[in-house]
Amino acid sequence: MNAPVTSFDAVSVTLLPPVARFNLRIDPKDLSAAASAFGLTLPTKIGEGAQNGDRAAYCMGPDEWLLHAAESDQQAIVSAFDKVRATTPHSLVVISDRELTLSIKGPAAAELLSVGCPIDLSRLPIGGAKRTVFDYAQVVLIRDAEEAFRLEVWRSYMPHVQGILEIATREFAAGY
Amino acid sequence: MTKYRVKGKGRVNHAKPVSFTFDGDRFEGVEGDTVASALLANGVHLMGRSFKYHRPRGVVTAGSEEPNALIGTTRGKGQFEPNTRATMQEIYPGLKTESQNKWPSLAFDLGAINDRLYMLFSAGFYYKTFMWPRSFWDSVYEPFIRKAAGLGKAPSEVDPDSYASRYLHCDVLVVGSGPSGIAAALSAGRAGSKVVLLDEHAEMGGTLLSEPSITIDGKEAWDWLEAALAELDNLPNVTRMTRTTAMGYYHQNMIGLVQKLTDHLADAPTAAPRERMWRVRAQEVVLAQGAIERPMVFHGNDTPGIMMAGAAQTFLNRFGVLVGENPVVLTSHDSAWYSAFDMADAGANVVAIVDTRPEVPAALVQQAMKRGIDTLVGHTATGAKGRLRVKALRVNPVRHGKVGPAQMLNCDAVLVCGGWTPSLHLFSHTKGSLHWDPEAKVYLPGHKTENVHIAGAGRGLWGIAAALEDGAKAGTDAVKALGRMTGTATYEVSNDRAGTGITQKELPTDRSAGKAKAFVDFQNDVTAKDIRLAVREGMKSIEHVKRYTTNGMATDQGKLSNMNGLTIASDALGKEAPQVGLTTFRPPYTPTTFGAFAGYHKGKHFEVTRRTPIDSWAEEHGAAFEPVALWRRAWYFPQAGEDMHKAVARECKATRESVGIFDASTLGKIEVSGPDATEFMNRMYTNPWTKLGVGRARYGLLLGEDGFIRDDGVIGRMRDDLFHVTTTTGGAARVLNMMEDYLQTEWPDLKVWLTSTTEEWATIALNGPNARKLLAPFVEGADISAEAMQHMSVVECTVGGFPARLFRISFTGELGFEINVPARHGKALWEKLWAAGQQYDICPYGTETMHVLRAEKGFIIVGQDTDGTVTPLDAGIGWAIGKKKPDFVGKRSLERPDIVAPGRKQLVGLLTDDPKTVLTEGAQIVDDPNQPKPMKMIGHVTSSYWSEALGRSIAMAVVEGGFDRMDQTLYLPGESGKPITAKVTSTMFYDPAGDRLKVE
Repeated sequence: MNAPVTSFDAVSVTLLPPVARFNLRIDPKDLSAAASAFGLTLPTKIGEGAQNGDRAAYCMGPDEWLLHAAESDQQAIVSAFDKVRATTPHSLVVISDRELTLSIKGPAAAELLSVGCPIDLSRLPIGGAKRTVFDYAQVVLIRDAEEAFRLEVWRSYMPHVQGILEIATREFAAGY
Repeated sequence: MTKYRVKGKGRVNHAKPVSFTFDGDRFEGVEGDTVASALLANGVHLMGRSFKYHRPRGVVTAGSEEPNALIGTTRGKGQFEPNTRATMQEIYPGLKTESQNKWPSLAFDLGAINDRLYMLFSAGFYYKTFMWPRSFWDSVYEPFIRKAAGLGKAPSEVDPDSYASRYLHCDVLVVGSGPSGIAAALSAGRAGSKVVLLDEHAEMGGTLLSEPSITIDGKEAWDWLEAALAELDNLPNVTRMTRTTAMGYYHQNMIGLVQKLTDHLADAPTAAPRERMWRVRAQEVVLAQGAIERPMVFHGNDTPGIMMAGAAQTFLNRFGVLVGENPVVLTSHDSAWYSAFDMADAGANVVAIVDTRPEVPAALVQQAMKRGIDTLVGHTATGAKGRLRVKALRVNPVRHGKVGPAQMLNCDAVLVCGGWTPSLHLFSHTKGSLHWDPEAKVYLPGHKTENVHIAGAGRGLWGIAAALEDGAKAGTDAVKALGRMTGTATYEVSNDRAGTGITQKELPTDRSAGKAKAFVDFQNDVTAKDIRLAVREGMKSIEHVKRYTTNGMATDQGKLSNMNGLTIASDALGKEAPQVGLTTFRPPYTPTTFGAFAGYHKGKHFEVTRRTPIDSWAEEHGAAFEPVALWRRAWYFPQAGEDMHKAVARECKATRESVGIFDASTLGKIEVSGPDATEFMNRMYTNPWTKLGVGRARYGLLLGEDGFIRDDGVIGRMRDDLFHVTTTTGGAARVLNMMEDYLQTEWPDLKVWLTSTTEEWATIALNGPNARKLLAPFVEGADISAEAMQHMSVVECTVGGFPARLFRISFTGELGFEINVPARHGKALWEKLWAAGQQYDICPYGTETMHVLRAEKGFIIVGQDTDGTVTPLDAGIGWAIGKKKPDFVGKRSLERPDIVAPGRKQLVGLLTDDPKTVLTEGAQIVDDPNQPKPMKMIGHVTSSYWSEALGRSIAMAVVEGGFDRMDQTLYLPGESGKPITAKVTSTMFYDPAGDRLKVE
């Protein structure tokens, strides 16, 4: 599952193992309830992320957060949110299987992404995330470091995204 | 060394010969040559035949504006390209090129008969000639026009090259690397802005490459250029791109660049793309595209050997090629005098400088005299001698508007300059306005709609000093617009060649102007006479003149011809140019390959192909696939020797007799969650949701505001505040968008949230009398017996050890279940059910069988049986409307007069009188086949299949007043011309009582 798909010195593209993934929708004024259920203070600015161990949260919209956790914690997190639902309305939807995640790392990572991603990647802060597109696919792009990104792609779009990254990686390897 | 190569001249590598072929003949050029410069070095001017008259044509420019020297190039199998500009294609060992529009040869072309018949081919020729008789249109005229249309052969083989694309963001994009562009890039680059500087040529420098004699800041031009480019290369915030054309300028400073990567290489690496399309978003854009030299319009001005003076200067100084040994210069601008001087200094015998202006600067005349060049000021050109190459130029003095006696100037080249046109094509793409400078008679940039700065000759300035100063200022202005402070660099220029000139209509002549072949548009063979004729025939706007004459409509978009055409048209109309107008330039700036636009979207990546988690199983089991929205879905599973008809008949039978398994993963799924979920559902869907119990499911119908059916699907209530909504495969994204739209704009007060879970779940449908028997052993945590789990219900449990949402529903009329499991487990569960299902002869079926089974039950498919004009009542599913609900999307429209009026098309069943006849979907229906034509169509067939269960054909159709036509006979077109007869019935063809759902 996590074997390198394609790589060369300047950039590597790897399919990552699954994580527990949630779409959280909640009124921002109720955010503290969600934070205590999830065990992490949630960022409030769109595009920002917060991380603690294997828990991570990214603010994707005015009332929308993407949550990541260890796979084994998925049910516990669902239960924790279940407990606060009566008092704090929200929607927590498990989307662990909706997306697959690619890791894109290396000095040429941002340039490789520019093959299909129209946003200005230099303005994506480390630790942040953006919903954008890669070619025809809607994706969430997470920046873990200057030269390390994750690309979350709906499962059925992944072969298309991977295929284009593979062609583009060959361009880089050939010096173009 | 080839005859016309000047030793030590130019920027080409004289020590590195490169050989290539043109029309099969081998030619030698040197490294750094273009096809045009290499052919000229060999004394070859004739490079093509013109489009309409097949006149011999030579190269006229040294750049991308070239209208004549369009050639075919072949780099390998499938890599033929027509209409390559010989002035832009660099040569490499083994390059194969050919001329176009000639037969049997370039020097002797039978098509040139058109030239003798030129009086027939006047403006509007097509409109006037190909009119009558009407019957000739299809058989004679259209094939003729199609054959004549277009220059060059379209490639017929698959293009083996790959094309790339990338996005790029920068602070300042500088288009053009002449003195203005380089100065702008230096200003912005030194200030720390992220700068991209590009040029369409292989080398940067623009005019500087053709003007080595000037000095900048005490350095010779080329030394200064080298230092400037080195400085840019040392700035980490500056990127330089050569062989790159800014081909389109779009909204909000989005510029399309096409970078040619390998067309100049003999051996390109296999993984190297041929071209790359860059989509650049620039904060500020500097257009430093310079100006394009204008031809002069006189009889025979298209004879090979007659070319732009600036081009001759470029061929000499940049490529070390003399375009002729005995040139005549014909000009109305100072610039060509300098071209003449450079030619003379390089050893050419400049026969004369002919200037159409009555007066020219004395300093120029002195310099000409010093070099022993005759000057003929106040003269006109009235003809050229020579067919395949110019032999003499006929010139006459003009005094007080009178053309004097002619003299012939023998020559082997005529270097022309009719002034300079600022290059505003990209600016024109932005819809920025142009303003007319009545003194210089040029259009200049006016009101800007984008963050753009125009510098140098592009806004009518002339001379290197002016260009540098203006470029530096544009760069500084761009930096300031970004909110940063910076100073403006200054440049000291000596030996500059500043100058002025005039532009004019066709040159005065002592001969009949009506017979002059004085070309305005070389590529489309439009003459001055054509433009005047168009005006005489009533064309008053330049847009009409353009279309009537085709002036400026060739692939060069009139880079050389538009302004001359406008000048002549405005003269003929007796109006100033702005009153006649200016045609609009549109992207692309120069012809662009389809490959560059397509990028990675070819072959497997032409379009996204979405595959379900079970897709690979279907492929391994020989499924035929069909595209449904972006998905590919298993269509049917043919066994050896089966066609679709047989496979579908078998799949239908197996499902109705025992059990069938179907991949329904593509169904759209939306989680509707929150305390106001029920209220939201009540408002969106026609059905009532308040009383639907937890664990129950209901068919949901979604209308648009207009009352017409948009989507449908089964919806399960998981909790009080949670619905599992399913949509059609193709409607998934559309429905979510529609729901979000209403939620965000109409009902922001509702506490409910929507999340797409289409791809979270893999969905497997089991249908058939043995469905429960097969499924039950796999289910834990739920009782799915007939008593415990009624039809239309849903339960959370595990199936095969996987967490599942299990629905008991049926789209086939059989006992049915739909099992949703997390997508990664979809295939594993399928395989478990498949293995266990062998005891029941389980049959995998595809979308075709699904369609037949549902049609037998009269279930509609949105988009097939509905077309955006069908209401629930039209479709016979008025029962799905919650009558007591105060409102839902589309409710009010259902009371519109046209919606409640009788005679609407209604969905009914059709049974052919001959049970073996399967109607054609889309077939039109009439109620009387004997009525006169045109007959009144009263409806059409929406679904039609062979029903294995019924042993006959079935069909659904929308028919005017269909519900009132039960048992009526209607008529449809048959193959033999004899109408097919069919009776109107209910759409419930099979098991109307629904007994088959009640399997214990």
